[in-house]
Amino acid sequence: MNTRKKKIALVIGAGSVKCAAALGLWKVLEKEEIHFDMIVGCSGGSLYAASMALGFTLDESVAKTKSLWNKSVTEKRNWRGLLSAVLPGLFGFNEKFSIIDDSRMLTRLRDVFGEKTFADAHIPLTLMATDFFNGESIALCEGKIVDAIRASIAIPYIWPAWERNGRLLIDGGAANPLPVDVAIREGADIILAIGFQSPFPSKIRSVSRYSFHINSLLTNNLYGANFAFHNAVHHAEIISIFPEFERPIRLFDTDQIPYVIEQGEKAMLEQLPYVKRLLEA
Amino acid sequence: MKNRLSIVIGSGGVLCAASLGLYKALRREGLTPGMAVGCSGGSIYAATIALGMDPDEAQRLTLNLFTSDVFEGYTSNLKSALSGETRFTEMSSLIDDNIMYERLRSVFAEKTFEDTVFPLHIVATNLYTGERVVISSGSILDAIRASIAIPMIFSPWKIGDQMLVDGAVCDPLPIDVAIRQGSDVIAAVGFEMPTRKRMNSYTAVTTHFNSLYMNNILKSTFAFYNAVHHAEIIPILPDFEKPVGTFDTQQIPYIIEQGERAAEEHIPYIKQLLLETK
Repeated sequence: MNTRKKKIALVIGAGSVKCAAALGLWKVLEKEEIHFDMIVGCSGGSLYAASMALGFTLDESVAKTKSLWNKSVTEKRNWRGLLSAVLPGLFGFNEKFSIIDDSRMLTRLRDVFGEKTFADAHIPLTLMATDFFNGESIALCEGKIVDAIRASIAIPYIWPAWERNGRLLIDGGAANPLPVDVAIREGADIILAIGFQSPFPSKIRSVSRYSFHINSLLTNNLYGANFAFHNAVHHAEIISIFPEFERPIRLFDTDQIPYVIEQGEKAMLEQLPYVKRLLEA
Repeated sequence: MKNRLSIVIGSGGVLCAASLGLYKALRREGLTPGMAVGCSGGSIYAATIALGMDPDEAQRLTLNLFTSDVFEGYTSNLKSALSGETRFTEMSSLIDDNIMYERLRSVFAEKTFEDTVFPLHIVATNLYTGERVVISSGSILDAIRASIAIPMIFSPWKIGDQMLVDGAVCDPLPIDVAIRQGSDVIAAVGFEMPTRKRMNSYTAVTTHFNSLYMNNILKSTFAFYNAVHHAEIIPILPDFEKPVGTFDTQQIPYIIEQGERAAEEHIPYIKQLLLETK
């Protein structure tokens, strides 16, 4: 008989605002006193993965999300970047190009996570980014949390790429939108994977929205292909939690967060009996 | 048993010509494929092979598909689109497709999927949902035009009631189309898109990002097909010692040679497999 305690991992995939559904999942499991042995987060998911691992309470996490991801964070356009796209010679276009200026976001991230490092996490935490030059998936598990989150959420075209230890990094979703393989490699027995389709812009009216639209298509197809593979070859039990949203949730629809959390809770509740059975088996 | 051997040609711009090298090597051994599947640039070569064109003829016909005049107007269109001077929607493009379309027409004319000597399947992507669309009937010219509609560069292409773009957006090396059609031995010619070390323009960044995603999708889909397939998949991955631009048609003879070389290594194994599965 196997009396060893089963290792449970939570993997929160890319999905910007939709990632808040992880808080709904957390609500359900807290009530059941089911705790995680490791947490992996990618892109928007890295915000919630970090909050949970650092021991913030559920209410704190909800409150902090609202300050981290809202309209004011995205209001400040990167005019120099936009000009450099039109007149690359004059304004020095380079690979750190973005549509939105990241200074407000960085300030908010520092307000919430301060100088915290991965060593401060109560639960082992891994955050995912992508190497800007070769597209490799990079698992971050040491150093400053702010640094890792900033890299993980560097959505192509929206935020500039982020340099960390001499390596230029972008959105973890560009290589591994739902990184269950990290949990598999770390020896998890049960993997709760909460994943999302990337949103499309509501209307394509500019070159940058077109680029963003194509990026969403690519991310979704990568997400599907990756997940199919991990599901086919895994040895751990992967429980996929795909919350359903009846209305479109766009990149910065933070006013939808309460609804998003609710849907996450619903999706988790559906899987709960199975998770409990696995834990008892 | 005519579906036993199939050729799947992935996206890769002009590099897809390497599939003619594979086709040459197979023919020399008296091995005839029973199906061709093509994606993006690969759809051009899959079509020439399925239409029964001789490899030398296919080489000759594709040598002049993408000369520099195909890309006329690109820079000025990009400037006015980025500055907002011209409206850019999902139906827009940075290159007027007239010249390219006429070139393709000169090769494929009015040919349909019914004119092929064995089944042909061409892969494109639904522009709005990102889902894969496999085209197996109708005009070959239309199907190729849809499959090579590189986002932003060429406008999407409507077939039936679907608006389609580049097949590489969903499935850069569509091996499972051949698996599903019951193929036993699949020779798959695939390419990673070139990434960049320096980016000094908006389009350089978009092509770089698209390449990163497509390469990652290529790896994931290949890993998945390989893990769950029942058919035998033989990856033919030609080596190129010099960089070849996506539209550098002048390099086609060299590319074909490298494809032939890469294929030759696998011929004995393919023959053995075909004997076993008879």
